Amino acid sequence: MSLVDASLAAGYTLGDFLLVAAAGFAVLAVGMLYRAVVGPTMQDRVLAVNVLGTNTVVILAILGAALGEPTFLDIALVYALLNFLMAIAISKFTVERGGVL
Amino acid sequence: MTGALAPVGPLGAPVVAQVTAIEASLFVFVVLTALFTALARDVLAAVIIFGAYSLGMAALYTFYRAPDVAMTEAAISAGVTTVLLLLTLAKTTRADHEAAFESVNLPAAGAAGLLFGGLLLTMGDIPAVGSEDAPIWSNPDVSQWYIAQTYAETGVENAVMAVLAAFRGFDTFGEAVVVFAAGIAALIVLHREVFA
Amino acid sequence: MNGSAPDSGADPDDGADPDDGADPDDGADPDSSGGFGRDRPARSDGRLDSDRRQGTPYTESQVIMPTVKIVAPFAFTYGLFVTFHGGGSPGGGFQGGAIVAAVVFMIAFAFGIEATREWLANTVVVALAVGGTLVFAGIGLVPVALGGAFLQYELLPIPDPVKYGMEGVEILGIGTIVAGVLMGLFFVLANGFSDAGGFADADAFDDEVGDGPETDEARDDGSIDGTDPDDGTAPTDGDAPGPAATDGGRAADDAATDGGRAGDDAATDGGRAADDAATDGGER
Repeated sequence: MSLVDASLAAGYTLGDFLLVAAAGFAVLAVGMLYRAVVGPTMQDRVLAVNVLGTNTVVILAILGAALGEPTFLDIALVYALLNFLMAIAISKFTVERGGVL
Repeated sequence: MTGALAPVGPLGAPVVAQVTAIEASLFVFVVLTALFTALARDVLAAVIIFGAYSLGMAALYTFYRAPDVAMTEAAISAGVTTVLLLLTLAKTTRADHEAAFESVNLPAAGAAGLLFGGLLLTMGDIPAVGSEDAPIWSNPDVSQWYIAQTYAETGVENAVMAVLAAFRGFDTFGEAVVVFAAGIAALIVLHREVFA
Repeated sequence: MNGSAPDSGADPDDGADPDDGADPDDGADPDSSGGFGRDRPARSDGRLDSDRRQGTPYTESQVIMPTVKIVAPFAFTYGLFVTFHGGGSPGGGFQGGAIVAAVVFMIAFAFGIEATREWLANTVVVALAVGGTLVFAGIGLVPVALGGAFLQYELLPIPDPVKYGMEGVEILGIGTIVAGVLMGLFFVLANGFSDAGGFADADAFDDEVGDGPETDEARDDGSIDGTDPDDGTAPTDGDAPGPAATDGGRAADDAATDGGRAGDDAATDGGRAADDAATDGGER
């Protein structure tokens, strides 16, 4: 009986609410996708994909808590560390289209 | 790592085909990113959206309790694929792109749609995720044996790694050599003799 | 493989075609990237972020470089953790090797690909890839030599042979192969296609020769062989940051190396020696 199994209200456990929160973040990710697709400039897309990465870290962490799988945090850590690489790679690429890589 | 998914929705209510809200939003996200990756006219935009696609896939893999696959997706897509694609793009010229999206070839889209519809028809026979009928549960001689015997046989807790390195070690050796050969092939194709 | 794409990564000695259409977007000043990532001794010492290794203003982003300095050690450690802890948590050699390679990508994007290429010698990359394959094959073949089957871990002459045999395969085999090959793919893709027919005359110098911008210089100067005009343009690196002594050293550096290259392989040694001397002069 861990914390996520604790009943909060009307029989719903904390894990249930965490899953709903994760679903909310996933919906937000769909919304952020609009900027990544439409974004008139590449900088918009870079920012959007960076936000999406941070969003994914949050989703993974919440999932790890809700499903009682602490190892999910390992994957969240990978994204936390490497999402930055994607952002700097794309942003440096947009300068002279890779001329300064 | 082996638990079955709850057959009910996040709020305790059974949902259609046992798709929970988080699965539904991740599915929508993944399908949309895949679609826009295919349709984006600018290759750089496609690469960026493909990065977003991998984020959704990793979350989906994680939700389905496949953390090893999710970590591979995370490390390869966030760390490697985007970078290698960008390096390749840096060597190309940008095509004129007035339109934001590719024009869709209708016959091709129709053929793809037909194939998709045909595959969709088979969905009814596939056991639901986490159901008792799924082969991973109904076949105790294979999947269950690995899950039960991995630690006793090999001394490691991660069954995926045990399958990769021990039970299917010869396959993995072949894969490792393929990765090595891919590096050499890149050298040959690019007419280089040294990597760095 | 269309006509224009490979040229952007071409070597100066093959950058012959002055009208190559590479990179229409980077028509911006070739001078700012003139001293970038070339003509340095292969064993160039000093910190990777030192001024001598950093060429263009663009590579010296005040945001990216400090952030990478902070993030890279953690990411590298985490890659090692994923590799070494694959038996008890998600991960393993493949994922960990990819993360370790991604750390090198990160460093390369922050400090310049050419500087990182020289910092991380080809020997390291090749040793990782080849060594990993040999270790994997070796661990597999030892039981064969002892009368068993391929990869029959029980026969390995070590304590707890199955567990540590698997760990050895994952860490020393798969992890190093993946890390080495991904780093190699990164550098070789960054170099681009060599249509010099690199097999005949490829040597260590082949890779120290830079990327697209150099070809642009050759085009701007209407050069045929793309070597000599570099001497003319390199000293105009007035906007490259750093003390004048370093710039002077770099210019002499350019001259020395180009001299060595313009001659043939025979002159290469001389060029490299002068190169070293010039660099040392620049250091002081």
